[in-house]
Amino acid sequence: MMAAVPANYGLLLAAALFILGLAGVLVRRNVIFILLSIEIMVNASGLAFVVGGSRWRQPDGQLMFIFILAMAAVEVSLGLALVLQLYHHLKSLDIDRASSMRG
Amino acid sequence: MSGQDFVSLLPLTVMASAAVLIMLAVSVRRSHLFVLLITLAGLAGAAAMLPVAAQAGPRNVTSLLVIDGYALFYTGLILAATFGVALFSFVYLRRREGQQEELYLLLLLAALGAAVMASSSHFASLFLGLELVSSSLFVLIAYPRGRVNIEAGVKYLILASVSTTFLLFGMALVYAQTGTMEFARLAALSGSWDGGGALVATGLGLMAVGLGFKLALVPFHMWAPDVYQGAPAPVTAFVATVSKVGVFALALRFFGQVGIRPHAHLFLLFTIVAVASMLAGNLLALLQDNVKRMLAYSSIAHLGYLLVAFLADGPLAVTAVTFYLSAYLATMLGAFGVLAVMPLRGGAEAEAVHDYRGLFWRRPWLAAAFAVILFSLAGIPMTAGFIGKFYLLDAGTGSSLWLLVFSMVAGSGISIYYYLRLVVMMYMRPREAGLRESASFPLAGSLALSAALGVIFWLGVYPAPFIDMIEKTANLK
Repeated sequence: MMAAVPANYGLLLAAALFILGLAGVLVRRNVIFILLSIEIMVNASGLAFVVGGSRWRQPDGQLMFIFILAMAAVEVSLGLALVLQLYHHLKSLDIDRASSMRG
Repeated sequence: MSGQDFVSLLPLTVMASAAVLIMLAVSVRRSHLFVLLITLAGLAGAAAMLPVAAQAGPRNVTSLLVIDGYALFYTGLILAATFGVALFSFVYLRRREGQQEELYLLLLLAALGAAVMASSSHFASLFLGLELVSSSLFVLIAYPRGRVNIEAGVKYLILASVSTTFLLFGMALVYAQTGTMEFARLAALSGSWDGGGALVATGLGLMAVGLGFKLALVPFHMWAPDVYQGAPAPVTAFVATVSKVGVFALALRFFGQVGIRPHAHLFLLFTIVAVASMLAGNLLALLQDNVKRMLAYSSIAHLGYLLVAFLADGPLAVTAVTFYLSAYLATMLGAFGVLAVMPLRGGAEAEAVHDYRGLFWRRPWLAAAFAVILFSLAGIPMTAGFIGKFYLLDAGTGSSLWLLVFSMVAGSGISIYYYLRLVVMMYMRPREAGLRESASFPLAGSLALSAALGVIFWLGVYPAPFIDMIEKTANLK
């Protein structure tokens, strides 16, 4: 039996990753990097689920992680398809240039 | 799972099979009309299964889904609204180039996701339903692949994904502290949170933020105007109605079971969000000269009104919310339906306010229908919007939520200005030739619009049978 990592440490790590990802979304202007930062946030949530599952000795946390992985795959494939189309229109990946709507 | 469970799931199964059928049909031969017919048949078939599932009684299908009267009622609303959206899409797409069939496939999948949300009783099914709606919407919003469509799609993708991660992280925190993801067991534990409450409180707060994004409540509303403007009109109708109804049904069930009143910080958060949505939504709508953006801000305000009854206690609250959501559904669907069937302006949608100048003199029926819809949004008597607001106010005063009630009255007062401005615009004499007329009025569009108008008048003039039905089926007790 491995020495268990206290659940709070795991949650703190997940929270730190989550905040890093959120900062990336807010600061980055390149769409690809924004999508990457979102991935970090998604995986931080997944990590928090796994930590929760290990604390209660249930498979549910890891199960949620599998759902989250599937969702992340869907989001990335759709996201990249949209980014390709965006590049086709703007000839740039800078999100600030996608601003033809105002008001 | 027993046989009875499969019977309870029939409405969802029929919707999913219709989606698969469309996929197969499209791979054999492309026919816009045929795909529309499959979609409508699938939706009608699923609606026909609702009474069958209701007879099986309220039951938990595994720990993920609960098929009770409430879930079935909201599934019915979702099916009806999707039916209307499909008809408007047919009119909209027939006048445009490009592939048309996949839109219906995505519509069905998104509707399925919304129905799953309305019946979910577990974080996993909540998450799956929500993602089914969002990922279908990413594609639907960008469907015509013009520049604004893609921009709107990318914006929605980024903000919806971020909001989903907030929701996920919130759920993970709640789970880590309580050890369960089932709503009912969370509710049972509700009393014993006070020990490690900070984690649960943060988790619930993050979940509220995530759901607030999906409902476009202030201050999480930034995506709404751009997405409403950039998406094709029928899809905008879907975003404004079906996806919000699904999320609101879920929020009402979840926070109804867990309880908002015992958590003072949640109550405060929701109160601030509600007041901000009602006031900011209506004030910003005043500044818009694009009808779609105006309706976006108006729908932000309407969701704010809904929070009044959401925060109210007592038996009236669920009835008020359900009635208002039904009225809102018919009205918003009608509003975007008008936009979808409006004559084109050089191939683009007629979405500027001045495109509507003198509409009455060119298209009297369309203008009259739009006027009724705008009256209902403003909450003028004889329309569904009035009765809906009356119920919300009743629920709010019953629980002495005076700040919320006052904001709602003030917001409604402001809103009358911008709705009536559009009505006045339609009845002015046209200055120039205006929009090019299309030869015939599309049948599918007039059918769906008349149905929406019928519901608006029916709920506005004789709401008693409908309210009875809500009280009998859609109560959460």
